[in-house]
Amino acid sequence: MKTLEEIENLSLEELEMKAAENAAPVPDGLERRLRQALAARELAEAARPRPARWIPYASLAVAAAAAALVVLPQRGPKDTFDDPLLAYAEVEKAFQTISEKMAVGTDILRDAEQTAGMPYNTLNKIQK
Amino acid sequence: MKNIIVFFAALLLSLSAAAQNGKSIYQKYSDAENVSAVYVSPAMFRMIGRIPDLEVGEDNVNLSPIIHSLTGLYILNSENASINSALRSDAERFINAGRYELLMEAKDSGETVRMYTIGNDRTIEGFVMLAVDAGEVTFICLDGQMPRKDFEGLIAKQMAD
Repeated sequence: MKTLEEIENLSLEELEMKAAENAAPVPDGLERRLRQALAARELAEAARPRPARWIPYASLAVAAAAAALVVLPQRGPKDTFDDPLLAYAEVEKAFQTISEKMAVGTDILRDAEQTAGMPYNTLNKIQK
Repeated sequence: MKNIIVFFAALLLSLSAAAQNGKSIYQKYSDAENVSAVYVSPAMFRMIGRIPDLEVGEDNVNLSPIIHSLTGLYILNSENASINSALRSDAERFINAGRYELLMEAKDSGETVRMYTIGNDRTIEGFVMLAVDAGEVTFICLDGQMPRKDFEGLIAKQMAD
């Protein structure tokens, strides 16, 4: 049995020779089993789903589109009228339309009030 | 990575929903066939406001008090059956996405009219009217800082006339 100091003093060639003298026997079929294990590992790696390459690019595109929506100023539509008097007339017409449509609602409400009041009026007449 | 995609997709959708407004609806449908469209810009409203002595005839109501407070008017009147449904959906999405409050709803002879406002007790920042019947959809959107009192007074006066 060599001491640690003796081993440290040995050259590389001597160490290799010693190792070759005391080489452990290789089990039968080890090489074949190793090849099989490596092949199985390669197959498993290939079968594992990997993130698609386009995903980072798609994310960047979506982020850019979102940024564009926020940052880029929206182009406004073109004025329908050049003449302010014509524009005023159109605004007036719009308010007229709004009033007419609202009047429909208030007419319905008025009719409903009258209908709702009929039983009350009938009861009043009976009481008199 | 999937989470990131879902996040960005949701962000994009929410941004596009938020971007929906009177202007975008106008731009989407104003060039379609059988659609009459009117847009009055803030600049035009300023020009209208500068017209001296904006007096109107006896039968008309003077809008000058409210004109100064308006910043945009979008009107779409569609008799195009192929886009009416989409126009209605977009308008409703815009109304629901905002903080619009239902002012009035009336249904008469197959026509449904809804009016919405956004703002507070004193000021109307936006007004939307959506009238839908069998073959026609009318969308009116007003933007501005309209004093609620003036706006309601104006409508009431026109109804009385």
